[in-house]
Order: sequence, then C-alpha cells, then structure tokens
Amino acid sequence: MSYENPPLPEEVNVGRENVLLEFLRLAAGLAVVMALISAAMYFGGSRLARLIPFDTERRWVGERVLGIEVASNPKHAEVEAYLRGLTARLAAQMDMPPGMELRVHYADTALPNAFASLGGHIAVTRGLYERMDSENALALVLAHEIAHVRARDPIAGIGGSASMILAVTLLTGNAGNLSAAFAGVVQRGYSRRAEEQADEAAIAALRRVYGHAGGGAAVFEGFARWRQEGHGLQGPSLLSTHPLDEERIARLKQAAQGWDAQRQPLVALPAQK
Amino acid sequence: MRGVYDEQALIPGFPHHRQNMELSNLEMLPGRSIVRHLGLVQGSTVRSKHAGKDILAGFKNFVGGELKAYTELLNESRKEAIDRMVQQAQAAGANAVVNVRFSTSNIAAGAAEVMAYGTAVVVE
Amino acid sequence: MELLIQFGFFLFLLVVGLLFGSMNEKRHFRQLKEQEAALREVMVFNERHLPEWLEVRQAKLVVGSVVIGEDYFKRVAAALKSIFGGRLTMYESLMDRGRREAVLRMKQEARRMGATMIFNVRFETASLSEDSAGRQQAFSAEFIAYGTALVPAAPPA
Repeated sequence: MSYENPPLPEEVNVGRENVLLEFLRLAAGLAVVMALISAAMYFGGSRLARLIPFDTERRWVGERVLGIEVASNPKHAEVEAYLRGLTARLAAQMDMPPGMELRVHYADTALPNAFASLGGHIAVTRGLYERMDSENALALVLAHEIAHVRARDPIAGIGGSASMILAVTLLTGNAGNLSAAFAGVVQRGYSRRAEEQADEAAIAALRRVYGHAGGGAAVFEGFARWRQEGHGLQGPSLLSTHPLDEERIARLKQAAQGWDAQRQPLVALPAQK
Repeated sequence: MRGVYDEQALIPGFPHHRQNMELSNLEMLPGRSIVRHLGLVQGSTVRSKHAGKDILAGFKNFVGGELKAYTELLNESRKEAIDRMVQQAQAAGANAVVNVRFSTSNIAAGAAEVMAYGTAVVVE
Repeated sequence: MELLIQFGFFLFLLVVGLLFGSMNEKRHFRQLKEQEAALREVMVFNERHLPEWLEVRQAKLVVGSVVIGEDYFKRVAAALKSIFGGRLTMYESLMDRGRREAVLRMKQEARRMGATMIFNVRFETASLSEDSAGRQQAFSAEFIAYGTALVPAAPPA
C-alpha cells in the first residue's frame, strides 16, 4: 500500500466563464428587459388613464393648477382676458370634444414656460409672454398646449409614469437611483411623440385661424439661443421634454413655406404696460 | 453489492464518462483492496436559482413543505461538485474516491456552495 | 444631477473593485500555486485508518484557517447573475482560494512540527456575511481545514 500526493489540476473548481464579459452581457440584457417592461407599463398606464372621463378629471383637480403658482392677480386681468380670447379663437378651430372647457392662467414668473395641466388648465408665464414677438407665435404655443389637453396628455402622462414607477419599484425593490433614472428615459421617449403630435395640431390650428403657419420658428430659435446661453440645466419643462430644438425649428419652417410675410403680416401683441 | 457505490443510484443524471469512478463514504470499498492512496481531492460549486424561482420559493415558505426549486438547485450543485472532485481524482490516476463527505454553505439569499471531498485511491 | 453623481460613484466603486479585486485574486492564485508546490512533501488524506507500516512518533491536531471577503465588483456581478440564476463563477474562485489557503496553512503548521502526513482532514465553512440583526452584508467567509498530523518515527525512506 503506497501513500502519495500527485499534483492535482488547479482550475477544476472554478468555472471558465469570463466574469467581466458575462457581467456586461447580463447588464445589457437586464437593461433591455427593464426598458421593455417600463415601456409596456407606461403605455398601458397612459392608455388606462385616458379612459377616465374629462369631467371626472376636472372634478378631481378642481381649480388647482399643478406645478406652479397662478393666483389670479388683478394686475394681470387684461393679459388674462386677452389670453382667454385667443385660446377661445384657437379652440374653436380645433374640434374640441363637447364639455372640454379650457382655463388659461398667466403666471408671474420670469422662467419662460407654458404648460397644460390636469383638468384643462393651461398656464403661460410672464417670461414666455414677454419673449413672444407676435400673436402668431403666442398662438402656436397656446394651440400646442390646447392640443395636449385635447389629447388628454397630462393625465396620460401621470397614469403612465405612476404605473411604470410602480412596476420598477416592485421589480427592483426600491424606487431608488437607477430605476428612477430609467423611468425618466422611457417617459421622455413617449412624451416626445406626444409633443410632435401637439406641434402638428398647433400648426393646423394656426393655418385655420391666420391662413398661414408663419411666425412660429422664430420663437424656438429664441429658445435655442436662450438654452445655449447656459440656462439649459435649469431649463423649464417645456423645453426639456420637447423635441430637439433644431428638429422642431426645421419642422416649423417647413410648415411656414409658402407664407408671404408682406401679404400676410404677423399680428402684433397688444401693447404691454 | 456494487449498486451501493454506483453514483448513478446516488445521483441521478450523473455524467456517463465518469461512471467508472467508484465512490464510497466508507474508508474502503468492501470486496476490493486499496493499493495506492493518492490524497485529498475536492470539488465545489456555487449556484443560484433565477429570481422568479426565488420569489416562488418565498411564497412556498408561507405554507411550508418542500421547496422543490431549492432541492433541485442543491442536487444539481452536488452533482457538479462530485463531478469536479472526480475530475481531480482522475487526474491523480485514481479509480475510486473513498470517505466522501459533503458540505453545504450559505452564500447569499438563494445561492449556496456545495462541496464534496474525499481521498482518491486506486483499488484492485 | 444628483443621480448622475450617485451613478458615477457606483461605477467608480465597481471599477475599483474590479481592478483591485482581480489583481488580488491573480496574485493569490499565483502564491497558492508556488506554496502548494513547496509543500508537496506534506501529504493529506481524509481517511482515518493509518498505514499499518507507519511508526508514529507524534500525532497532533493541526488547523489552518482564513477569512476571505468579496470585492464590490463580485458583489454586484453576483447579484446580477442571481437574477438569471446559474453558476456564480465569481464566488467559485473565492471559495477555491479560501479552501486552498486553509489547506496550505494547515500543511505549514504540520511541517513546522516535522509531520509528513495529515489524516482525517475535514473542511468547515462559516459565512460571516450576516450582521447581528441578520441583514446581509458584503459576503465573507471563514474556511477551516483541520486534521491529524503525523510525525514519523524515522525519516521516510
């Protein structure tokens, strides 16, 4: 009987996979799966949210406007009346469903922004209003927001994000860091499509009201400049979720083709006090 | 008599090419004589079930009973641990492993290490 | 912005873990190989029956132990792999290192007393990755190898 210890093969007990490669592959796979699930949840959630009748949404929101202070100030009564009139003229050309009542607010904020909120509320800030060089430009912005209300985008956005965040939270165990960032990316992709549709509707409304769609591109060229000046990071939501400036300006310019600035002059805004 | 050491009986699905290796957790193979002792050999592996099975097992833990997913996981791991131990024994020139021991340790939720070790020998 | 910083920090830890972890691991495997070759004269068996011809001058319990912990990359990679299930190679190398190191230390102790054989070798593994409240911390484990070292009466022929 002999006793010996011959050398043993070393790497028997360690798998041969390249851990780093496997990690990268799995991380990519997981990202794709998460993106698909998030997208599906956002899509489903926004579909469901659109089923809520507008009346219910309005009753639920009441007179609150989400996201910004718009306490009516008698100082701005004139501007608000003008905005209401312009909105009514545009809405009349936009096939609004019966009962969908719009409320326009003027917010005394320097940040240039305009947005549509739940319950048919639309807000325009002083910063935006002062940057408009014609009524046509303002009408483009307003018609864009009216189109959002008509498409029920505000409630669809909330329903979509809520269900997506719920799903991501359930899957990852917390709504923390990465998952929230992820949700943001998916949401952005979706709202970009809604923005493009709203732009198209706004251009169509402008054509019906003024006979042409000119005067809009200048507004966004102004915004692009403003953003390049370094305001980008604290940018208003109107800009951050919206299609890339260049794309948008190009589309607006294309829509304005055939417009003759001499024969069809832009309408001036009422004099500001 | 032989069936007792037949790892196919011990572990279903054991790889065929290693079936000529005899395993025992006695210190001998009854009826055979050990002619050379080739020292300690060991095999181990770490595995986990995918998250879906972990969740199902979590539900099952409310009502108790066998957690089939984990039974399966540990059986597969044990199979692999033995396979790796046998690879070492074969490389050492053995045709049997005696005094085989198993040990299982918990690594993380749903992942476990299974280890098998024994002494590689040549029997006649 | 805050998110970006957090993500950057996470990536930084991941890369640090990967670089230093794999460097450590490579070095450890190299050392294991060298020392295993140097300690080949101490033989290990897990049988309890001693060779009949062996005259034992001294028999003594020898123990080798080591605690090894994972790096941050292993931790994240293992968590990711666990979602899909399967072999956790990043831990297999950790376990292999721990066990071989424990055997080496046991053999070193045996050689210091002049032993040439260790019998009845047993392994023990204890996971240290839970804190006192039972929460999972970064994984670390103690590996123990122990057996009875035999000093022969006369130097082996």
